[in-house]
Parts: sequence; structure tokens; C-alpha cells
Amino acid sequence: MMLDTLTRTISIEEAPIAIASLDLNLCFINCSRPWEQEFVTTDKVIVGKSFFDVVPNSPQLFRKVLENSFSLKDNIVEEQRHIMPDGSSQWYRWNIKTWKQSENEIGGLIITNTNITKEKRVKELLIAAENIAQMGGWDLDMITNTIHWSRTTKEIHEVPQDYIPCLETGINFYKEGEHRDSITKLIHNAVTHGEAWDTELLIITAKGRELWVRAQGMPEFINGKCVRLYGIFQDIDRKKKEEIKNTQIKERLNLATEVANIGIWEYNVHEDKLEWNDQMFPLFGVNRKEFKGDFNSWKATVHPEDIDRCLKEFDLALSGIEDFKTQFRIIHPDGTVKHIKANAGLFKDNDGKIIKMVGTNWDITKLVNTQLKLDKNEESFKGSFKSSAVGMALVAKDGTWMDVNDSLCFSLGYSKTELLNLNFQDITHPEDLNDDLEHLQILLEGKGNTYQLEKRYFHKNGQIVYVVLTVTAVKDIEGNLSHFISQVMDISAKIEAQKKSEEFLELAKNQNKSLLNFAHIVSHNLRSHSANLSMLSNYLVVEEGINEKKEIEAMIMDASESLDETVMHLNEVVQITTEAKGQLQDVNLNKIVKSVEKNIRALLHQKNVECDISIDQSITVKGIHAYLDSVLLNLFTNSIKYSSLHRTPKISIDATKVGKDIILNFKDNGLGINLERHGKKLFGMYKTFHKHEDAKGIGLFITKNQIEAMNGKIEVESAVDQGTLFRITFVAA
Amino acid sequence: MGKIESSCIIDDDPIAIYGIKKSMKEIDFCDTVIIYKNGQDAIDGLNTMVEDGIKLPSIILLDLNMPIMDGWEFLDDFLKIPNCNTKQVTIYIISSSIDPRDIIKAKDYSLVSNYILKPIKSVDLVKLLSDI
Repeated sequence: MMLDTLTRTISIEEAPIAIASLDLNLCFINCSRPWEQEFVTTDKVIVGKSFFDVVPNSPQLFRKVLENSFSLKDNIVEEQRHIMPDGSSQWYRWNIKTWKQSENEIGGLIITNTNITKEKRVKELLIAAENIAQMGGWDLDMITNTIHWSRTTKEIHEVPQDYIPCLETGINFYKEGEHRDSITKLIHNAVTHGEAWDTELLIITAKGRELWVRAQGMPEFINGKCVRLYGIFQDIDRKKKEEIKNTQIKERLNLATEVANIGIWEYNVHEDKLEWNDQMFPLFGVNRKEFKGDFNSWKATVHPEDIDRCLKEFDLALSGIEDFKTQFRIIHPDGTVKHIKANAGLFKDNDGKIIKMVGTNWDITKLVNTQLKLDKNEESFKGSFKSSAVGMALVAKDGTWMDVNDSLCFSLGYSKTELLNLNFQDITHPEDLNDDLEHLQILLEGKGNTYQLEKRYFHKNGQIVYVVLTVTAVKDIEGNLSHFISQVMDISAKIEAQKKSEEFLELAKNQNKSLLNFAHIVSHNLRSHSANLSMLSNYLVVEEGINEKKEIEAMIMDASESLDETVMHLNEVVQITTEAKGQLQDVNLNKIVKSVEKNIRALLHQKNVECDISIDQSITVKGIHAYLDSVLLNLFTNSIKYSSLHRTPKISIDATKVGKDIILNFKDNGLGINLERHGKKLFGMYKTFHKHEDAKGIGLFITKNQIEAMNGKIEVESAVDQGTLFRITFVAA
Repeated sequence: MGKIESSCIIDDDPIAIYGIKKSMKEIDFCDTVIIYKNGQDAIDGLNTMVEDGIKLPSIILLDLNMPIMDGWEFLDDFLKIPNCNTKQVTIYIISSSIDPRDIIKAKDYSLVSNYILKPIKSVDLVKLLSDI
């Protein structure tokens, strides 16, 4: 037995592992060299010494195990942390077994020791890493079909730590559909073809949450047969969701740029690398296959006239002096010119050094063309505004002139500066102002776009300017009234000509009328005498009775006298109409009225007529002295002749100046004339309306002709048995 | 053709009236002739005749150009005489006016049978009687 023990003792000392044998008192019998190296530092001799003296800081738990181990049949493996005297800690794995002196007698213990500090630390690190990275492990034994999930893996699945998964339940955590199908296929591929996998899929946790995970797996093959699958399992939900969101944003951006046809480019300054998005190629008319992706690829497209400026602007942008915000033309291979608007920003590294430039391009050709057209329109408007023969003005909403052209200045006689200091109200004829303002109001209220009217302005020199005014409302881009364009066509010359022709027409009409009148007089009045004369002459020839003959002869005398008288009257009228014009003089009205009144004072006195003359001394008219005498005398005698017997005859005469005219009112309180009945022929020849022996029907006819010869006119107002008012209009001298 | 009872001349010209009367006498035109010097006198006179129930003259010779009321005005007023049987009366215009406008205007009056140009001769009156 001793020999046995010896043999063992020797072998223990030589063993390459840390091993020691203890007696029943737990004192060292012997130990191996590695054991000594591990535990013996100062005291070289440990044989016979107590285990607890040699191995420091053996925890109480370990002591109990040791004490109990004598009764144990199987060997004990214990991992234990020991705190060293210097405060550091070491992990040891202890393997404890009893040795027997004889069949039933235990001699002591054999203990092996492995320093597992390093191993333990790596494991701890792994667990920490697993926790931090939310990364778990799993392991599937294909032989036993058992699955092991690490703690984190269980946490990710939201199952309790005592959960025991199997292959089927594990797969069922994957979301039904593409995710579960995908993992099934991957596992199948791994088992049959030995392919590893690394994928991102959705699982539904035990609590029903949808979660993105990264599942990685690897098969282990022995003799061509898959015996094990193992891998990691990671919660990537946040990252994935963010990624998905980013992808969506990116897609949206792509869509937006595509729809908006915005080209995006990125230029790496240091590597001279230019990247374009899809929109850039059609925008620049560049074939994707021929795109070299450098600065020159862009430069080659730019219009030669714009390239120098663009390069300068590019440099300014790169040096950070000015943002790259510009516009340039490019030429497509087919020669069409496009206008491009470009904006760009700089990307800098942490040191502030420029890495790249990113920018956008879009086609503004249409916009530019429209602008050009607009400019052209405006230019041509300005051109026509300036050189138009028609007066034109831009008028603000408040009526002030914003701009006026030369024609308008000429028409109105003001200089441009003078006009711009006035508004249109200032120079509009007061009678026409309201009409214009009413029309303008309609435009101001947005109820119309344009109006046209004839109106009068005052020339700077006071003369009236006749115009046709066309006003058009101009609206801004939002449809609000901005200002007016006025076109002012000067029709003064036309109006003057029209007035003159109207005057001529009136004159011709009057002359025609007097001619007709004259013809009538001739055909009627003269003929009545000639008819009488011819009749009487016939009678005279056949008549035989002397008395009869004498009677006829007397009548012939009367008839020829009447004829003579009529001829004289006619001569008078002809004289008036042919001689008067061009002989007009300035005549003082008050003086001549007074003089006529004086001449017939006897008659007035005799008839007991009250006469009231109130004419301003200063009033003079254009007239012929003799005619005025005749006219006034006729009016006086008429008033006396047709005075009422029932009241004292009264005549009142006054005169007023109205513009360029002198109005003379000659009023009496006599018999009056039924104008309704006689008005039309009042001033006709040989018309009488009163049963008066002296009524000859020639006076007013002559009067009218004389007044008209002096460019005047005579009108009448009358009421039967109340009186008559003759209103005579003369031209003021 | 036959002599009529009474006729009327409305004219302001005494010579013309003398001539007409002389011609009437020649052909024994009528029993009585009523003379008015203007339209107003004629209207007043005829009005009185109607009021008094005297038969109106069957022929009226009417001058146009007269003072106070001319021939045209007379025609207008004549129609307005109340209770007047205008159908018994035939009116002839007698005028020295050869103005076509007067002749045309005369045709507008249904009362006017004809327009006779002065001087009036006996043949005119004969024709006039035969027309009735």
C-alpha cells in the first residue's frame, strides 16, 4: 500500500498541472510544481501545512465543500473567486476528488487547480458586450434538437429566462409571411448546403411587439452532416426603423426632384469627381454612358458666353466669398439653348476644409422666355407710349399722372414736369369731371376694365381741348387694380371743324329757309297781285258799263300799288340778307334803345305807356345802327299797337351779358300771342294774328331778318292777354 | 248741274272776292253768297249758323293766306264745330299760291274737294257745279 502511495506521490510532483494531495486533516502531502508556482511564494515548504494556510482567502463556502468532500463519492468541480492580499482577485476552478488508502478507507483529497481568471474575464466581457449591443447568442444542436438561447436572446424575444425554445417555436417568432419564409429557407440552405446567413427580419415578440432583428447563423458540419447551428441575434429595431424612414425620405426626395425635374449634383473638389442624379442627364442633354463624371463634363455643356462668368462665380463660391446662386445657358447636342438656374452649398470637414459642393439645377427656359417676351412687350409698350401720336398717360388710382407722353403734353400745352405735378381733375372741364369720375369709380370697384368718353380738358392757355378718352385698368399679378392707362385722342381740330361745319350747315339751312320763304313769298304774294291784275284786266276788256269800268280801274290801281308795296318789301328783305354781313359795328345798346324811345316819345305819351329801360351803359353789341333802330321801333310800335285796353301799357327793357352774347329782353303786358297756334308763323311774311287795322304781317318778318343779319336771333314767350316777351340775342362787341 | 242755294267765300282780298262774285253772277251760281274776311270770322259765323239751325252753305271757297286765321287753321277748326254736318259742305281751296307744297297739303284734307288756282273764272265755277 505504501508503495502505491509513493508511486502516486512521485507522479503528483511531476504533473504538468497544478495538483496537490491532502491528508484527512487537509494538510498537504505533496503538490506539483505548477501548484507551487501558483500558491507558494515565501515559504517553500508546504508539505504538512494546512490547505487554508497555503491558499489564501479561501471563502467559507469552499471550506464547507472541502469539509464535506470526504463523504462525497464523485469529484467536485468548483469555480471560486479568491481575493489576493494585494487586493487583486483571481478566479480558480477547483477539481476535488478523494483518494483511498484501502478498499473502504479514505486517505485524503486530490485537488487540481486551474487559474481561470482570464477565461472568466473574457466571458464577463462577452456578457457585458451582449448587454450593451443587445446582441444575444443561440445554439441549436441538430442531433438532440435542443436550442439554447442566451439571456439577451430571450430578452429580445420578450420571453422569461426559464423559457425553453425549440426549433419550431423559434421559427414561429418570425413574422408570418416573407420573414418566416425567409428564415426557413435560410436554415434549410444552411443545413443542406452549409451556407451561413446574415439577415434582417421582423419578429413578433411574446408580448406581440413587432421588432426588427439581425439574425446571423452558421452551420457546423461533421462528416458531411450538419450537427449544429449557432449564431447571434440582435435587436436592430431602432436602427432599422430609422433606416426605413431615411429610405422613405430619400425616396420622397427622389420623387420630388424627379417630378420637379430638379437635377442634383455633387462635386468632390479634391478628386474632381462629379455625380449627377437621373434628372441631370436629360436636363443637360448628356448621354449617361458618355458622362465622364468630372468638372469638364459640366463645363462642356455651358454656353460659351456664360462660361467665364460661371467659372468666376464657382471660384468665388469655393473660396467662400459668395454663394453659388446663378443662372446660365447650356447648349444641348441638338443646338437648343436652355436656361439653367443653379444653387449650391459647400460641405466641409471638421477642419473647415471644403470636401465637396452639392447643388441643384433646374430648367427655367420657359420662365426666361416668358420674361423676355414680357420685357419685349414692355419695351414695345414703352416705345409706343413715347412715340404715339395719341396722348397717353399712366394714371395712379388717386388720379395723379404717373407718366405722360409727349403727345399729351403737346395737346394740353404743359411740359411733362408741369403735368406730373397736376392730376387729371385739375385740368378737366368742370362739366365733364363727374362723368369721368363716375366711369372711373366703376373701374375702381372692379366692375369694368375699360371705358371711353368724350370730354374736355383745359389747355394751359385756357382754351378747351376736346378729346376722346379711353381708360384701361391695369391689374397686378394678384388681380388687384394697379393703375390706369389713359389714351387721350385730341379731337379739338375735328370738333372745331365740326362746329364750323355745323355753323355752315346752320347758315345754309337758314339761307335755304329764307330762300324757300322768299320763293313762297314770290309764288304766293306776288302771284296774288298778278292774278288780280290779270283778272281785272280781263274784266276791263269785256266790261261795257262805265261805272263798272271805273270800279275795275280803281281796283287795278289798288292791285298795282299792292304789288309795288310787296316788291318793295321783298327788296328790303333781299337788301338785308345780301348787304348786312361785314358791316357790323360796335353799338351801345343803352344809347340806341334810349334814342328810339325818344323818337316815339310822343306816341308813347299819347298811349300812356310806362316805359322802363335798364341797360348797363357798358353793354355794346355787334350790329348795324339802322337795323337796330328798325328792330326796336318795330317792337315798340307792336307793343303799343297790341296793348290791352284793360290796363296801362307797360314796356320793360333790360339786357344781360351771357358769355359772348348779349340778351335783350323786351317785355310788354299787352294782348299776347297764342303761340301754340301762331308760334310757327309768327315771324313769317304777311302773317297777322290780331284783328287790327294796321296789322300787315311784315314787321316781325323784317325784324327777324335784320336780327339774323347781325348774327343774332329772336325768340318769343307769350301768354294771351298777359303780355309778350321778345328775347333778342346779340353778339357782344 | 244746277244752281245751289248758298255758297260762302272766305278770302281777305277784296279784289279776289269781287272777281268771284262777278263770275258767280255770270253763271247764276247761287242764291246767296256769304263772305268772310278771314278764317276766324268764318268759324265764328258758321258756328252761329249751326247754333241757330240755319243750313250751312253747300259750297265754301276757301283762301289759304289770310290774317288772324289762315285757310289751314280754318279747316282744322271747322271740323271741330259741334253738331255740324260737314258732309253737306264741299270745300274748295282757292289760292294764288302755285307752291306745290300747298297743293299737296290740300289733298291731305278729306274735306277739301279740289284746289282751284286764282284768278277764279266762270268756267271753274261751272265745273264745280257739275261735280256736285
